[in-house]
Order: sequence, then C-alpha cells, then structure tokens
Amino acid sequence: MTDKPIPQLTDFNQPYFEGCAVGELRIRICKRCATKFRFNHYLCPNCWSEDLGWEVASGRGRVTHVTVVHQAPYESFEPDAPYAIVLVELDEGVRMMGNLLNCDPASIDIGMKVKAIFESRGEVYIPQFVPDD
Amino acid sequence: MSETVAIAGAYEMTPGRYRDVDALALFRQLLREALTSWPVRPQDVDGFITHPCGYANSPDNYIHDKLFAELGIRPAFAETMNLGGATYPAMINRAAMAIETGRASAVLCIGAGKFMKPGAGGGEMMARAISDGNLEVPYGTFIPALYGLVASQYMAERNVTAADLARVAVSARKWALLNPQARMRAAGPITIEDVLASRMIATPFHYLDCSVPSDGGGAVLVARADLARKWTEQPAYVVGYGEKHGRGTVSEPGDLLETGAIASGAEAFRKARLGPVDIKVAQIYDAFSATPLLLLENLGFCGVGEAPALVQSGAMDPGGRLPVNTYGGLMSFGHTGDASGMSLVTAGALQAMGKAGPVQVDDASHVLIHGYGGILYDHTTLILAREP
Repeated sequence: MTDKPIPQLTDFNQPYFEGCAVGELRIRICKRCATKFRFNHYLCPNCWSEDLGWEVASGRGRVTHVTVVHQAPYESFEPDAPYAIVLVELDEGVRMMGNLLNCDPASIDIGMKVKAIFESRGEVYIPQFVPDD
Repeated sequence: MSETVAIAGAYEMTPGRYRDVDALALFRQLLREALTSWPVRPQDVDGFITHPCGYANSPDNYIHDKLFAELGIRPAFAETMNLGGATYPAMINRAAMAIETGRASAVLCIGAGKFMKPGAGGGEMMARAISDGNLEVPYGTFIPALYGLVASQYMAERNVTAADLARVAVSARKWALLNPQARMRAAGPITIEDVLASRMIATPFHYLDCSVPSDGGGAVLVARADLARKWTEQPAYVVGYGEKHGRGTVSEPGDLLETGAIASGAEAFRKARLGPVDIKVAQIYDAFSATPLLLLENLGFCGVGEAPALVQSGAMDPGGRLPVNTYGGLMSFGHTGDASGMSLVTAGALQAMGKAGPVQVDDASHVLIHGYGGILYDHTTLILAREP
C-alpha cells in the first residue's frame, strides 16, 4: 500500500494506464499530421484533429532536466527524500516526467540515458525511469 | 485619438503574517489604507479590476460585487482577472486599454493575497493545483521542484553556479535592509555562503534561494494623464507593454529557457521606443533566485549566459548600474501569495513617481516591471516613465 498520489482512472486515461499495467508506455499519434504527444490532449496540439491513434514507445530516452527533492512537499514522499524528479525526452521525441530510481540522485546528469519501468500505486501502474546501461 | 495614461497612485501594504485577518478582510484593510492616502473620492473612480479573493485553490470570483457596494463606486468598466504572478502588469494594461478607448477615466486596480503554509496541507494542494494529476502529481511535484527542473537546464547549458543564484538572494537582501516595509529587514544581511549553507529544499534551491511566504497586497490608481497630474505631482506614465503566454506545464516539449519574456519584453520596448539600455530600474519577478538571472537574459539586459557576471558585479544592488527589485523583491520583501506581482508594480511605480523613499533610485526615468505566472508560463512586461 502507498499513500502517494494514485491517478484516478477515467475513460480518457484508461488506455494509457492499461498499457502501463502490461509494461507498455503508450503515446498518442495524430492520424492527420503524425505529431506524437502524451495522452493528455483531447485534440492534436499541432492541428486540432481528434483522429488520434496509440503507439507503444520504446521507453528509452535521455534526461533533459533534473531536480533532487530534499524537503518532501507532503508526508507520503518523506521516506523517499532525497528523491529525483526528471524530465526525459523519449527517443520518439515526447517529453515525460518521472522519478529516476535505482541510482544515487546526486549522480544524475543531464543527458543520462534512461529507460521506463512501471511502479504499482494501488491498483494502478505508473511509468518511472531507471538508468539504461 | 488615444488618451495618454498614467499611474496616479500606488500603495503597498506592509507584508506579514496577518493571522487573524481572513482573505476578504485583507482586501478591506488594503483599501482602507490605500484610498485614504490618495486625494480621490468614490465619484472619481469609474473602472475597477481585482484579482480573485482567497487562496489559489478556492478563489472567490465575486469579490468585485462585494466591494462595489462597500466602496460606493458604480464603475463603467470592471473585471476580476488572474494570470498568476503575471496578473498585475496585465492589470495596468487592461486599465490603460479601457482609458485609451474611453471606457473609463480612472481605474482602481487591486490585489491582496495570503500565502498558504506549505505544512498545513498546502504543499499537496498547490501541487495538485499546478501539476497534471496523471502525469506529474504522482512523482512528488511541488513548486520549488518544478522551478528546479527549469534551473537545472539553465545551469547546465549556460555554466551558471549555485553561487550565482545565491548572489541574487544577497542583492535582494541588500535592498530589503533599506526598506522599512521589507519582511527580512530585521533578519540582517546575508552572504553567498549563508545561502549555500541553508538547508536544501529541491536542487538547486536552498532555503534562502526561495521567496518568503507572506500575506499582503497593493493598490494602483490608473488614470487619464490629465487626471493623474491633478492628483499627483509626478505620475508614472504607461509607455510600453508586452504579453506572451506559452506552455501550461514543464513536461510538454520545447525549450524551457526560451520563455515568453523574450516576446513580451521585445514588444514592450518596441511600443515604448526604448531599449534595455534606457531602463534605470527593473522589477523582475523572483519567486526563486534563478528566475531574475534567466529573465535578465530573456529581456535583453545582457546576452545569453551573461547574467551571472552581471549580477556578480553588483549591478542589481543599491548603487549598481541596473538596480533590480529595489524594494527587496519576493525574496526579501515577501511573496504575498496571489498578490505577489502587485508588489513589483507598486515598487516600480513609486520609483518612477519619485516616491520610493529610502530605496529611491536617482533619475528613475524609465522603469521596467516583469511578471510571470505558473512556472514561467505567462509573461507580462510593463514600462513606466516620468515623461509621457
């Protein structure tokens, strides 16, 4: 069990989190202009098409931004501090946020290669990142 | 023909922790203090703009109606608006547009805010308010960490050090020591070493790299220039404005260092027919120590990667060649919650009006005020001048 935030499943986000549960990092692709983006857009942010498909991303990418949280913002993250929040540019060009696990947070550099894993939060799985050696 | 517009009055409450004063009462206290300090009566005011009342998670958007009756005003132009920290330069612009087009002749602009305590559930509340519930909140986001992500790119790409960031906090404190209203005045001076030795919140920000949570607010009277000259000896003329909005989250693609300030600053300078070299005082939103550095570069006060050297030279400090945040800024005057951007406007207007008291800069002929909202998402740049 965890008291950390658990995404609430809806019709909109369910295909994404169902993917996470079977080890797939799913991203959206616009069938009109081929722009790729995270699922949290109802319309393509490039052309406003609503004809959107799903694609399974490789889960591989590079760290573009990192912060190490020393003072947890609320209680459920206190046991983890210091923990790293990173932005990752996936090989598909889509940016994701995650925690970078399985490494010393102080050792994380911009440009570091990472890959996605999936962490259970209650009934839901969320993507996280680990170093990709 | 469009009217010339000027600020006829600017008032900032002394920031603090007003524990027994609720959010609406704080607006009332602000108005009592401000309106009794200006030579105007209810009949003079025909325009009104306010920020919503209350905390960011549960704002009261009907505050304008509550205040009209209390103040005895019947405006022909009114709105309740919010662009986060970018609200207040925009508020002056909206008032100026109303005056330029003849909708109003004197517009009262106000904002008061209480900064929610991070410990009392405020941290999680704010994280949910500003982050995506599916894609960001699960990772333990909060405001310092989101700015920390931006700062990590800035430091890595432009060779900026923790000491450079700390120097911004040192400068803010130098100004605060001169300002009797500043919250951190009594705390005394700080050094770069003090900042670096304070506890780490979220890299690269130590405790002293962060602004000071406070309650407070400010009021500005924007008027047709002929009225402004009647009400005050030296009005602050509104000569330039620019605005640009962009991403609503740090985790969409795009370069986080190419902020909307590049466009809003260029637009404001173009309209004012001025350049960065003409600016004598700049008030630049400083929720965290890294943001004035990046924004000095984005606004064109120096080249890319040159802000650290500029700030380390003492340029921002009292007596420096580009005084910045001359009242102590959010970092040492106080971050007054949703009213924080107003403190930049009142401090900037008072400089142009020659009424900044112990922090007055000689010949503050042109003053730039830059606000941003969200995590550098919304950008508004205002230029005030002593001459129309």
